[in-house]
Amino acid sequence: MKLNIEGLLVYFPYDYIYPEQYSYMLELKRTLDAKGHGVLEMPSGTGKTISLLSLIVAYQRAFPLDVTKLIYCSRTVPEIEKVVEELRKLMEFYAKETGEANNFLALSLSSRKNLCIHPEVSSLRFGKEVDGKCHSLTASYIRAQRHSNPNLPVCRFYEEFDAVGRQVPLPAGIYNLDDLKDFGRRKGWCPYYLARYAILHANIVVYSYHYLLDPKIADLVSKELAKKSVVVFDEAHNIDNVCIDSMSVNITRRTLDRCQNNVDTLQNTIHKIKETDAAKLREEYRRLVEGLKEANVARETDIYLANPVLPDEVLQEAVPGSIRTAEHFVGFLRRFLEYLKARLRVQHVVQESAPQFLKDIFDKVCIDRKPLRFCAERLQSLLRTLEIADIADFSAVTLISNFATLVSTYSQGFTIIIEPFEDRTPTIANPVLHFSCMDPSIAIKPVFQRFQSVVITSGTLSPLDIYPRILDFRPVTMASFTMTLARTCLCPLIVGRGNDQVALSSKFETREDFAVIRNYGNLLLEMSAVVPDGIVAFFTSYVYMENIVASWYEQGILENIQKNKLIFIETQDAAETSMALEKYQEACENGRGAILLSVARGKVSEGIDFVHHFGRAVIMFGVPYVYTQSRILKARLEYLRDQFQIRENDFLTFDAMRHAAQCVGRAIRGKTDYGLMIFADKRYARSDKRGKLPRWIQEHINDGSLNLTVDEAVQLSKHFLRQMAQPFRQVTTSHRHIP
Amino acid sequence: MDDQGCPRCKTTKYRNPSLKLMVNVCGHTLCENCVEMLFVRGSGNCVQCDTPLRKSNFRVQLFEDATVDKEVEIRKKVMKIYNKREFDFPSLRDYNDYLEQVEDIVYNLTNNVDVENTKGRMEQYQRENKDIIQRNKAKLTREQEELEELLLLEQQSNEQRRLEVLQEEQRQLQAKRKSKQTLLDELEQSKLPATILLAQHKVRAAQLETQIEQQKQNVKPTSLFSTGIQIGQTVSLQPLPRIQEVLYQYKPLQVETYGPPAPDLEQLSRFGYLNHVRAAMPQDTAGGYTSALACYRAIQDAFNGLFPIRD
Repeated sequence: MKLNIEGLLVYFPYDYIYPEQYSYMLELKRTLDAKGHGVLEMPSGTGKTISLLSLIVAYQRAFPLDVTKLIYCSRTVPEIEKVVEELRKLMEFYAKETGEANNFLALSLSSRKNLCIHPEVSSLRFGKEVDGKCHSLTASYIRAQRHSNPNLPVCRFYEEFDAVGRQVPLPAGIYNLDDLKDFGRRKGWCPYYLARYAILHANIVVYSYHYLLDPKIADLVSKELAKKSVVVFDEAHNIDNVCIDSMSVNITRRTLDRCQNNVDTLQNTIHKIKETDAAKLREEYRRLVEGLKEANVARETDIYLANPVLPDEVLQEAVPGSIRTAEHFVGFLRRFLEYLKARLRVQHVVQESAPQFLKDIFDKVCIDRKPLRFCAERLQSLLRTLEIADIADFSAVTLISNFATLVSTYSQGFTIIIEPFEDRTPTIANPVLHFSCMDPSIAIKPVFQRFQSVVITSGTLSPLDIYPRILDFRPVTMASFTMTLARTCLCPLIVGRGNDQVALSSKFETREDFAVIRNYGNLLLEMSAVVPDGIVAFFTSYVYMENIVASWYEQGILENIQKNKLIFIETQDAAETSMALEKYQEACENGRGAILLSVARGKVSEGIDFVHHFGRAVIMFGVPYVYTQSRILKARLEYLRDQFQIRENDFLTFDAMRHAAQCVGRAIRGKTDYGLMIFADKRYARSDKRGKLPRWIQEHINDGSLNLTVDEAVQLSKHFLRQMAQPFRQVTTSHRHIP
Repeated sequence: MDDQGCPRCKTTKYRNPSLKLMVNVCGHTLCENCVEMLFVRGSGNCVQCDTPLRKSNFRVQLFEDATVDKEVEIRKKVMKIYNKREFDFPSLRDYNDYLEQVEDIVYNLTNNVDVENTKGRMEQYQRENKDIIQRNKAKLTREQEELEELLLLEQQSNEQRRLEVLQEEQRQLQAKRKSKQTLLDELEQSKLPATILLAQHKVRAAQLETQIEQQKQNVKPTSLFSTGIQIGQTVSLQPLPRIQEVLYQYKPLQVETYGPPAPDLEQLSRFGYLNHVRAAMPQDTAGGYTSALACYRAIQDAFNGLFPIRD
């Protein structure tokens, strides 16, 4: 159907549109008009993706000069594929309606592991191996060496692409990962490099967050993307953690040992090159004396995305004299490394700020701040000059040099925590240096600065105003949309008491309380008798789950549950979990019914949907607070309080509630779906917790479902399920209309 | 670290956790016991390289790699002599060249390359730049100054936070004590039954508690983004409304003086008023003073309010 959104003609590939989709598009259009950033929340399963795509594509067609590109960032490969499929549908609709083939180019990009078609390389198991192997076949100097020695191995796909592929642009169309691979096979071109090259002139790019947020990858892939792009972060409720992770560095003893090997290799290579090809080192030296001027010109003319690991000061100055020659630099690395080793030999926890660290390093090993700042850039230059084929081997030393640059560049927003052992195993020495980023805005700042519109969207973004604060940007639109329903297909219940009136709570004091555990068990038991098909239960942590399940086993509750349904448990092992998941789905499919016990913040809670009969009820045992005793978290909370005036409790509750919302949101993936959402903790009834749930869940919590006992909850569930089990006719006239 | 050991007696850290490794200027390791034994006389030769060593120069080895210990030692010495700062050089390029030169010296001394020559160069430099070395001894580099400043700031803010927390606690304690005292007083003097008083007190205490809780939570409430925009303010996309107004027009000020019109500033000298006024000195005129100004003001004063006010 065709829509008129404030004067913009939008083609929408479905016959019906929900009112919330319309208002979503409206807000989105206003964001684009204002060339500003936006925060939009809309429940999952209401067609967020298609609304986004159809509006932005329409906008691109109407104002091709204002918006040249859509960069759509999602989290996982399946999600990326889903987006591309929606896009394909949209484009087919366009072709049908307008009767002309449009010249849109849209493609998805993923790692080499997902895109490689080289028979040997693609058979490797780990992404890192694939990258390293590919690099050893395609690096420029390897290929240069091949001119003299044609026996060296070669990737014919890359060679073919390099010879022909760059001149011929990718024909217009929609490409998902498989399409790219097919196209590559047909032409004999490397799909990965083809995709990386093609994103520069594509109209729509779909890829993972990391290609924009992780400074190391962003620098390679995304730095030349046009300024007039619209960036969309989908499923962005965890975006602050992604930002923080991409800037944080953890250094263990093993990293340092590997780094030591790297440095030794570097030194040997330098010796070798000095004997054979000293001119190369001299050339590098000359370049460094001149300074990193080329890079600077590029940034000043605004061709590239800024890189937080490469601060502006580095570009404006030449490399300091103390690390200019290769030997001196290796000596410098060696000193730095020895210093870190000495620091890791601690007996107690140390927490210090970056300036304290810098002062100490100067006192101990006479390393100034300035050469540290240039460390990452200098190492890159050295690795290029030495023509080291397998970059993957040098990840340790790259990590250390990034750490050096970050610690000397940012005096705020980072903290250094050295822990001699893990909290859980205080007897085993396992020293770790956490260089932890506390300010997510550092990583995302270049994105906000560069692109004209950045849209952050997800099903669960409540409370909306906290995201602009922690990411430090100024949105022009902030909106939360609810779900319009033909029937109330979600039923949130807050169970606060057991049948014996014992308060249910996962708070620390009552964790070991048998009464609470028994009541939790009863809740699950009774639910397993009432709810058809699948039940998913979430616990707050693996440890807590293990304790409870063990205790249920002793009390015989588990046995009783198993009379009703099969039980599957998520573990920390990914393979085991995916096995459990598969079997769980099988059990739901054949009508036996099953219960999946899993953990909030785990794999199941984040990426896996339980549509229809795979999840008729979700039970959230407790409030999923993070482990508050972790020093990194404490430092971050303190920073949030001091810099952004966000109170510790507010942030913790916000974080717990967004994960709870993610968990219970797994069950409802559309309007025809239905499911129970059971919050089994009396703390959910408080307004400060309840108020932080997304609006579309909050709306259905009424006073009658606030502080229920297990029996009452079972009664209500029975009633709800019976209602929902009636055949649902697609009523097309009454509730679906365009406002 | 466990596999580190003394090269002479072959004791390792693993077998003797309290093993203390020492290192001297040559960068070779010995354990504390061996040092005690070999250098009873206070001096001797290194077991590995035969360099003459003093016992007093032995230090505890800080790093796993003893050459790093040695290098740091040498570097500290060299830095004492080569202590020029960035602003001692005309350009950054020169400074960088100088830094590289220093690095070269350290490298040579550490790796025993051309030691004699290098030492000679150092001495020569020391002679030539005696003044600068002396002068720069106490000066920190610019970067270090910045660091010190940052550290100071950090300390201050930490201290302040600590004080605030302390004050807050003190205040709460006092408030609690006060409410307890009032209860005791009331029980003593009031004629109401004790149960009611107790109930009242309970309510008051709860109120106090919530108040304290609120204050605790009250960390500088902000309503602004860092950009200065109000939180929760919806930004309108409509163009600003144009306000229609009449242009301002200047009208000269009319003052009723109730006297005859005073002569103008230009007329003063013509009418001879200035003859009786002290001429302005050259230093007076610097600030824009002229004798006419003073005279003008005095005459205006004199002409003012001479007529009766007509109603």
